[in-house]
Amino acid sequence: MITTLRISFRLLFFLLAFWFLEGTLLATPSIQRTILPNQIVLLVSEEHSLPFVTFQLLIDAGSQKDPSGQEGLARLTAKGLLLGTAQRTAKAINEELDFMGASLDSSAGRDYLNLSLRVLKKDQEKGLALFLEVLTQPVFPPAEMKKEVEKTLAAIQAEEDQPEEVAEKAFQENLYLQGPYKFPVEGTKASLPRITREDVVRFYQKYYHPDRSILAVVGDITQEEIKTHLFPSLEKWPRGKIPEEPLKTEFTKGPKTVKIDRSLTQANIILGQNGVSRDNPDFYALQVMNYILGGGGFSSRLMEEVRNKRGLAYSVASFFDPGKYAGSFQIVLQTKNNSAREAITLARDQVERIRKEMVSEKELEGAQKYLVGSFPMRLDTQGKLANFLLQVEYYGLGLDYPARYPKLIQSVSREEVLRVAQKYLHPDNYIMVIVADLKAAGLE
Amino acid sequence: MSRGIQKVKRKTTGVLFLFFFFSFLAVSQAGLKEQVFETVLPNGLKVILLENHKAPLTTFQVCYRVGSRNEAWGKTGLSHMLEHMMFKGTKTVGPEQFSRIIQENGGNNNAFTTHDYTAYFANISADRVQVVMDLEADRMKNLVLREEDFSTERMVVMEERRLRTEDDPPSLLAEQLGATAFQEQPYHWPVIGWMEDIKRFTLEDLKRYYQTYYNPVNAFLVVVGDFKKEDLLPRIEKTFGSIPRGAPPNQEKDIDPKQIGERRILVKKEAQLPSLVMGYHVPNLLQPDSYVLEVIAALLSGGKSSRFYQNLVQDKQLVLEADAEHALLSRDPDLFYISANSLPGKEVAEVEKALNLEIERLQKEPVEKRELEKVKNQLESSFIYSQDSLFVQAMLLAKHEVALSWKAIDEYLPSVRKVTPEDIQRVARKYLIPDNRTVGILVPLPPKDGQAPPVGSSPKERAVR
Repeated sequence: MITTLRISFRLLFFLLAFWFLEGTLLATPSIQRTILPNQIVLLVSEEHSLPFVTFQLLIDAGSQKDPSGQEGLARLTAKGLLLGTAQRTAKAINEELDFMGASLDSSAGRDYLNLSLRVLKKDQEKGLALFLEVLTQPVFPPAEMKKEVEKTLAAIQAEEDQPEEVAEKAFQENLYLQGPYKFPVEGTKASLPRITREDVVRFYQKYYHPDRSILAVVGDITQEEIKTHLFPSLEKWPRGKIPEEPLKTEFTKGPKTVKIDRSLTQANIILGQNGVSRDNPDFYALQVMNYILGGGGFSSRLMEEVRNKRGLAYSVASFFDPGKYAGSFQIVLQTKNNSAREAITLARDQVERIRKEMVSEKELEGAQKYLVGSFPMRLDTQGKLANFLLQVEYYGLGLDYPARYPKLIQSVSREEVLRVAQKYLHPDNYIMVIVADLKAAGLE
Repeated sequence: MSRGIQKVKRKTTGVLFLFFFFSFLAVSQAGLKEQVFETVLPNGLKVILLENHKAPLTTFQVCYRVGSRNEAWGKTGLSHMLEHMMFKGTKTVGPEQFSRIIQENGGNNNAFTTHDYTAYFANISADRVQVVMDLEADRMKNLVLREEDFSTERMVVMEERRLRTEDDPPSLLAEQLGATAFQEQPYHWPVIGWMEDIKRFTLEDLKRYYQTYYNPVNAFLVVVGDFKKEDLLPRIEKTFGSIPRGAPPNQEKDIDPKQIGERRILVKKEAQLPSLVMGYHVPNLLQPDSYVLEVIAALLSGGKSSRFYQNLVQDKQLVLEADAEHALLSRDPDLFYISANSLPGKEVAEVEKALNLEIERLQKEPVEKRELEKVKNQLESSFIYSQDSLFVQAMLLAKHEVALSWKAIDEYLPSVRKVTPEDIQRVARKYLIPDNRTVGILVPLPPKDGQAPPVGSSPKERAVR
């Protein structure tokens, strides 16, 4: 709420079309990779210029693991970690963290959850002990869990006031016939009340094991300290039999239009379709293609046509959101109601154009230079670096990935860009969501 | 208001490149004075440099001392409009080429406008910083303002206003609150300006504004990153030194007189949940009491052990969230904000009562030693964490410079550490009183037919046509 009051300091950068961090590795600090006997992978990067340290633990238990009808279970389990342990109440945990000026968060995503701790060097041992305690000894107190569900339901209701959220949810829901990304990570009004504490405990017991977990440690800490303070406790985290459950994704066959009527001055529009998974070999060509189309911020074609030339939108962008499974491709824009049709046509035209004509030499070069050159900025804080390391490991890209990245991008040709545009963009079959004052938009 | 917010959000754990700037992060570290180098070029341009060799990167920020406080009635939002026009080119650089050039050099750039200043920044590989300097120096003196660019960009700004204010109930409430709390002071109007004013701007307005405020004498640079001062400074002098000084603009602005009784407003808008904002007139960092308010804000809403979270979110289960925020670094005295949104089924009056109780508690009970120590620890660690980002580091220096002087950053932690339980009671009694506040309440209107049901009604399927 506060950020909206203060108006000006909310800048959301979104130059990279993919949510994945990418780049060269000109400046990558050295990384130590260790596998403990219980199979947890540990990635450590020492950096001693500031007296604090960041821990991020990835557990392979995101919302894709939610059982049907219990959407939101993965997230609830993740949140539950911080709601009490065998030794401490939620209140005591919060007191202790705040007294250290530390932050401990547990957030679930589609694929995995991230338990992260940031703590001053001087409180490192205490912070780490707490981190391990919430990980291995949560008790999921019924009263706290109930409150968490109520809060989540209220947050879901409050999201109804954010048109871009309404559009996004409707888009995902309509894009997937079935699949791990069909429902929001936080669950739904219908699913949350169905989840019991026993479900949470079972989910925790099933998935919270070191076997497929990754821990990144970045900052003011030494290998020695890690060996002394981290290894012994971490090694005690018992292995488990995590079931392999390949999931099937099925997309809606478009075209399909979903119109949602709201008293708004703008039409919030999403045009899109099925995207790709992260391991798709065309990932890099798509990244370059999308930068030129709509991922390249002020340099993109969509921005040029919709905003710069015609003033029809403040923000217009396109992106792929690949995960372990295929995600979506989306063009997202907002424009005053009565410009909705025009903006949609313009956006479609740009998709058609990139499917028909080869991009220029200059555009290709611009995209490649940005993608390669902006890399160091993707790793310039402890949090960003830790997150990057988790993803490199999760997707099996290898620690040499950053060194390989420039080549992966630079080897993309104009022909490749055309090929992937034709292969992956099908504007005739788009799923389109419009949240607007439909009458004013002429879309009733 | 910024030029380039991209409102795309996704539901993944993936990284959104999101730069938050919390005011409670605006804390300082003893000893920056020794690390920061400051000089003023002969043309009046102040240069603030901080070497940081952690990564081969540099953030380059150009700040003009002009924001919505410098605007006139009827032309509100002109500063922000000009910020957008600064990307429309010069005699030698074409429209929208600025960002393209930076991006082709692997950099990100953007700009934002506040009540007090306008900032242009680029984060870029340290060896490319000259590219940014050349572009910034060029548009400091050679901006070309064309009618056709202006008429299109004005539409963009109107879309920005629709996106960020008209269709966003909390923003609308905040805007109305500001317009009620401030009557004479320019903080009365929103940074983006009133829609009618945006429609009214002329190219002449922009030209005059640019000539008045975009001069070295009214600007400063903050550069933080991987450079050597001995190398960078001569290059800055060479690049910016020849720009004519310009005349210092009048920066004296009216300050609202003491408020003489509570003001109360309602904003009625289709929304799901009621919310409430209270703004109390408070001093900025020019007065020591301001640091006490910084501590009070952290006591109320810093972290999950804070009073608001523990009492209102957890125990009473009245609100989804509740926040307190203090405007330490505003150039003119601003407001201390308290805001909350109700949980479904809870009355906003009940929420207000609970918030008032927390304020009264500050006035009546001395804060316990451990709680005070906790809050100071939080503020201190927040500062250390904020040092991790070159961008945030530079922005903190800039904000202090605009409000008073970048050197004031060294006063922050000592001032916070000095705060006593008695200070908190005294300051809460002095400023956080009903007569000194404006209360704004968002009253949700029922939605149009076929939309989501209002609070408390039976859950029907949302009609999606």
